[in-house]
Order: sequence, then structure tokens, then C-alpha cells
Amino acid sequence: MSAAVAQQALVTGLATGATYGLIALGFSLVHRLTGVIAFAHGDIAVGAVFLAVLVVIGTTPVASSLGVASAVALIALALIAGALLSAAVYAAAVRPFLPRVRGGTGSDVIGWVAGGLVAGLLVRELLSLPFSQQAYALPDPLSSGVIGLGGGVTLPVRAFEVLAIALVVGIGVERALARSGAGALMRAVSEDPTAAALLGVSTERVIFAAFGLAGALAGLAGLLIAPAAPLGPTDGVLLGLQGIAAALLGRLGSLRLAIAGGLALGVLESFITAWTALGARWAALLPLILLVAIAPTRSNGLLAR
Amino acid sequence: MSTIELAHDLYLLLAVLGLALAVAHAGLPMLAQSAFMAVGGIGALQLERLGLPIGSAVVVAVAGGAAIGSLTGLLIGRASAAAVALTSWGLAWLAYTALLTFPGLSGGAQGLTRPAVDHLSAVFGLTITLTPTAHLVLAALLCLLALAGSARLRRGPAGLDVAALRDDRELAVSLGVRAVTRRMAVMAICAGVAALAGAGISLLLGVAAPADLSPLLSLQLLAAVIVGGSAPLVGPVLGLVVIVAIPRLADWLTQGGSISDQAAAGVITAAILVACIALRPRVTALRGRAWRHDDAPRAGAARATAGDAGDAASAGAPPENDAASAAAPLAAAAPARPQAGALLLAARGLHCRIGDVEILRGLDLELRAGEIHALIGANGSGKTTALRVLAGELAPSAGALEGERVRRSFQRTHGFASLSPYSQVLAAARAGDPAPGGSLLRFAGMRDAEREAAEDRRVRAALALVGLGERAQDDPQRLGPGEQRLLQVARVAATGARVLALDEPAVGMGPQERERLLAALRELAAQGCAVLVVEHDLRLVAANATVVTVIDEGRVLAHGAPGAVIGDERVREVYLGVAA
Repeated sequence: MSAAVAQQALVTGLATGATYGLIALGFSLVHRLTGVIAFAHGDIAVGAVFLAVLVVIGTTPVASSLGVASAVALIALALIAGALLSAAVYAAAVRPFLPRVRGGTGSDVIGWVAGGLVAGLLVRELLSLPFSQQAYALPDPLSSGVIGLGGGVTLPVRAFEVLAIALVVGIGVERALARSGAGALMRAVSEDPTAAALLGVSTERVIFAAFGLAGALAGLAGLLIAPAAPLGPTDGVLLGLQGIAAALLGRLGSLRLAIAGGLALGVLESFITAWTALGARWAALLPLILLVAIAPTRSNGLLAR
Repeated sequence: MSTIELAHDLYLLLAVLGLALAVAHAGLPMLAQSAFMAVGGIGALQLERLGLPIGSAVVVAVAGGAAIGSLTGLLIGRASAAAVALTSWGLAWLAYTALLTFPGLSGGAQGLTRPAVDHLSAVFGLTITLTPTAHLVLAALLCLLALAGSARLRRGPAGLDVAALRDDRELAVSLGVRAVTRRMAVMAICAGVAALAGAGISLLLGVAAPADLSPLLSLQLLAAVIVGGSAPLVGPVLGLVVIVAIPRLADWLTQGGSISDQAAAGVITAAILVACIALRPRVTALRGRAWRHDDAPRAGAARATAGDAGDAASAGAPPENDAASAAAPLAAAAPARPQAGALLLAARGLHCRIGDVEILRGLDLELRAGEIHALIGANGSGKTTALRVLAGELAPSAGALEGERVRRSFQRTHGFASLSPYSQVLAAARAGDPAPGGSLLRFAGMRDAEREAAEDRRVRAALALVGLGERAQDDPQRLGPGEQRLLQVARVAATGARVLALDEPAVGMGPQERERLLAALRELAAQGCAVLVVEHDLRLVAANATVVTVIDEGRVLAHGAPGAVIGDERVREVYLGVAA
């Protein structure tokens, strides 16, 4: 691997990784509050993008450049759709299986696991109604220029833009939650829901807000990652598993580590892809292998609440 | 519906029956069933290509599936249910992605093929032609075998252990139930059955393709188990309905209406699955009500052997006399009664950290046969941590711990929610004195009547000890908090351990229950046990303990006879906050 290829792999890996970080942030946020793994989260990321595309462009998107108004509408709609989808999945498929009074009896793990999975399946199947092709090249609001590195190796400018946007948003959310009153409420609910409820915190509203925020972040991640390669309505599951793997690398709970885990996973995937001995096939297996290897050892993080 | 379709659905039901053991009985949200089916289906065809006759290829592939299942069990041995779901979902996708990206494994997207109708030369020169009808009969037979086998397994010792682990893993492990081994066994059976189903389907259709073994199949099978619940007969029938009816219903709806579209069928399938999952809380509630039903066969067996066990509790003796009449020594694992005063456990200079806090700072403790040893101290002084270290749940960072195995109780009251008091104590008795290969022997129909009678005697003695002999078959949810605590003592005592550690056993007890508890503790001490009790009630301690150890900040502050220790001024100052 030449130095130029390594640089390219690093930059594109960091960009992809930053979007994984946004998804991982949502997983960690929700898990910290409720003990739940949001199994439909990847489908929400992809679903939000396709819903926004459906409204702004229609059912036959092409990878053309967008006007400013359309680009703004696309972004706003993806964020809103992500937030609404996420909150709806929580209300319909997860909440019925959590104990009414948190900290009381244990939650019905089998119930919310299956609930999240079938909710994700429903999102995928619904998307397949208007979007019947296997994959679509989606329009990209970001720039398409490249920077030459010599030897025919180029760096896409959009990788830097993706990295900047994802990091600014990710770190911004993390900082905001660490400092603001809303963040303090979330920490209170995650640390002792019963005590928080006794102090008059509406834990239910806090959890809804967290799911909404996680969904909006997923929508943004979906938008950033979608134009990089053709995206299909059923690609959400694997994207979600990549996000969970990143969150697990970040110990599933710490928001800062979730972003770091995303970056690490993105760079690892990118280097494996660039390494001729292994290639893209192994890069596709990497997050799954990491997931299977790490998940059973994170029993303390994955509290069966 | 054609014969092929029916045979196919029956093979899927077989996979559901295997999965039900893991999901409904062991409480594991297992999502890797499609991967295990791939091991059987694709594995058998690959082995045939390597030159094995198809019959042997299936056997080897099923054995491979069981082996991979038990490795999965080892991997998730100590994981929480959420982690099990995540790991197994990851496994399903890992297997699927690997099959798709490495065509050498799976024969590419179109999969591996072989002639669907094939001749099998079986033993004794018989030749079986694998027609769809032969498959149908075979699949039905396998389903019946799986039903009978899992019913038998559930009723045996392994089934009781698995139910206890499902209800409260921490409690079961503390009583000595081997959690990882049991999980490996459950997963080996679950995966082996899935591999068999997978092999059956690929032989029936003459093709094994990755697309038919996607993780969505796992989800469909899980939904079937969830709808069926753990109901012995209705469950599988409902599961079959889910497998058979949903795709056909979706097809029928989309053909009947104006939208004739595969995508629409997909949406309807997903929507019905959502509805199935939404019904789950109700299914669980039904199971909760039906707990006695699950328990009945065991209860019957127990009564049958109770006649010659000389059971005093069922004769309606008043509770006060129960303890005295529990003549059978509980420490059955160690028949030789130790000399009173013999040293059973010695801890010297124990240190233990939790996080950054050093909780134990050089704790010394000696436990002797025949003593009721009270461990007292202010909140946060390290009493519960000391119990956890003694019981081997926490490793001390320094110090020596020598002596016998300690079994301990928890501060929380509730036990195994779906098991009768009798079964709860039986699980503890078996964990304390496991029969080597007992589960297998029982499964094979070989019963050791002598051992079962001995187990029954120990369980009845333990229940009588705490005056719960009358409540042996009651719904555990109907026991009061004090009775739950008495049941805790019975469970710990039934393990046969000679060093028992009880964490605040008298909390929430009325005066009568307290008397029963004290009688039980005295009886255990008289039988040669060392009973360590963490207790806050100093009057109780003063009147009943033979030795008192006071700890403060992880060290022994005072030690000796109750009168002397409780009168000690340092103790009064630290423990009661009374200025000297």
C-alpha cells in the first residue's frame, strides 16, 4: 500500500467512520437511558433518507445536483423523518415491553428485540413499495471535487466535508448534552429513573426526546453516507449493525467513545478495503466479526433492564 | 398446498421446536437459527461434493451444527439477554454475508444443487426413495420426536436448571447451577435441530442457496416461537400457523385486491409479524397464569416418592414443630457430621476493591461448625461485599481464603418466579449434589430411584426446616415477603453446603416467621453447619448468635460472644453512633 493510497484510505475511512459515529451516538444515547438496543436504528437512517427523497425528488431519484432550496428541504426532511420514525418505533415496538415503572421488574428483552426487528422490517418493506429497485444513486448536496495526491490517487473533497459536518454535529450534541439542562435530565433518568421520576422529571418525555434525537442523527448520517455508493431501501440493517459495532467499540454508553468507535471502525474498514490481500469482502465482514466478538463481553454495559 | 410445501413447512416447524427450547424455555432471544440451518443445508451438500454419501453428509453436518451451537453457547455463556440477541443477530448476518461474498462456500447466489428425488441406500440393503411424500413423513416424525424430546428435557434435571437460570440467573448461579454448561447444551440442541431442518429442506428442494437462509428467516422463526410461547402443545401448533399462514395470507391478500405485487406481500408479512409481537405481552401473561401446569408432573413424581420418605410436613404439623421434625440432615453432600467447633472456613487479611473504592481492608473471619455467626456493622462497612468474596463471586485483591464452599442468599426477596417452592429447592438440592450425567440418564429413561428419593427427602427436609412444607406446590408469587425469605434459607440449606451465609434474612418478617427462621438457623447449626448471618437487629443478634463479628471500614472491629461485643464501647460508638 503506497503512502498516497494510505492517505486516501485514512481520509475516506475517517469520513465514513464519522457517520458511523453519528449512528453509534444514537445507539449509545438510547441504550444508556433504557437499556434497549435499538434494532431498527439502521433502517431508520436509511428510511429517513428515502422519505426525504420521496417528498423532495420523487420515486425516481437521479444523482444530479440539487438547488439550494431542494438541498435544504432534503436535509430538514431527513432530520424530521428520522426523529419521527425513531419515536414511532419506540412507541409502537419497544415501549410495550419495558416495565411501567423503571427499576421495578425487568423488561421483556425477547419482546423489545423482536419488536425492534420487525419494526425495522416493516420500514424496509414499506420503502420497497415506492422504491422497487435494489439500489439508487442519490443526489448529493455536497461538492464533487477531488484533490490530486499524485500517482493517480485522489482525495474526494466531500470526504472532508462529511468528516467536518459529522464531527461538528456529533461533538456538538455530546457537548450540549454534557452541559445543558436537557442533558442533565437525560443523565438523571439514565442513572436513576425512579429518583428522577420522584423529582418530577417526566421520564417518558425524556426517553421520547432521546429516541427522537437519535433518529435525527441517524437521518443526518444516512444523508451523509447515501451518495457515497448506490443505496437500497433494504441496506439499513447492515448500516445499523455497523453503527452498533462502532457503539460497542465505544463501550456502548459513553457518547464521546461512540464517536471515537465510529472513526476507528471506518478507518479499519477503509484500510482493509485498500489492502489488496484482504479487500472489500473482508471489510464487509469486519463490523459483524467485531460485533459477535465484543457483544458477549459487554454484559455489564448491556444491562438486562 | 402441495406435498413439497407442506414438507418444507414441517421442516421449518422442526427448526421452531429447536428454537423454542432456547427462547421460550431458556429465555435466550436467539436470532442465529438461519445460520445454524445453513450449516446443515449447505454443509451437507458441500460434504457430499467432497465424496461423502449423502446420509453420512447429513449426519456430519448436523453434528457440526450442534458443535457450532455449543460454541455459540460458550460465547454467550455469561452474556445478558440483550447481548445474546445482539450477538446472535450478528452471527446470522455474518454467516449470510460470508456465504454471499465467498461463493466458494455456498456456490454463489444460486447456491448448491443436487437431484431432488434421490435414492438412499439405507442399512439392511433397503433403498429409500426420497420423494416429497417420504420427506413429509420424515419431517412429521422428526417434529414428533422433537416435541417428545423437548417435553422430556424440560421435565428432567437439566430442564429445571434451565428454567431456574431463565427466571433469575444470578440466584441460580449462586446456588451452584452450572450456567455456562447448561447454555452450551441448550444451544447445541437448538442448533443441531436447526441444522437437521436445514439439511432436510435442501434435500427436499435439491438446492441450498444463501437467499433462502437469510437472517429474515431467523426473525420469522423467532416470531413463530413468540406467538406459540412455551405452551406444550398449543405453542408449536400456533408456531406452525405463523410459518404456514402468514406468507400465504399475504399472497392471498395481494392477489385478491387490486395490488398484485411481491412488495405488497412483504409489507403485509411484516405488518402481521408486528401484530404477532404486539400480542406477546398477553401471551406472557397467559404463561404466567399457567405456571402450575408446567410444574404438575414434577409435583406428581414428588408425591409418589414422598410416602416412603417419612414426610412430617404434609401431616399438618404446626409450623413451629416443622424444624424439629426435619430429622434428615441437610448436609447430604458431606454425610460425616463435623465436630462442633471444627474450623470450616478461614479468611485472613482479605482485601477487595470495587472500582476505585477499597471496601475490604484486611478482613479476618473464622467460621466454625455449629455456630450462628452474626456479622454486623454500619451501612457501607463491607458486610455484603464480605459475603460476596466468601461465596467466591468477587475475587479478593489480597489475602487468603481457605475452607469449604460457601452458599449465600441475597438481600432481595424474590426467587424463581415460575417455579413452585418445591422445584426451587429441588433445583438447589441438585445443584449442590449433581449426579454425573444425570440429565442424560434421565433423558434416556434411566431413572435412579434411590437418588430421586434422596433428593425428595432433602427438599422436603429443607422446606420443613423453615415451615414451608405446606406451601411446597403453591404459586411462588403468593408467598409473602417473609415466606420468600424463609424459602431463601431453604434453598441455600438444600444445596448441602456446610457454610451458609445469609444476607439480612429477617427483614420484613413478622414475629412468627422470625421464630421459624431462628429455629431453622439453630437446627442448621445443630446439624454441623456454620451459619453466617448479616443482621441489623442487635436484639436478635444478642439473643441468638453464638459469635458476633463487628466490621467497620472493611476490617474487624470486635469479635467474640454477643454480650461482650455489643457492650463494647468502640462498637457502640461506630455502630450505634453513641458517643463514648
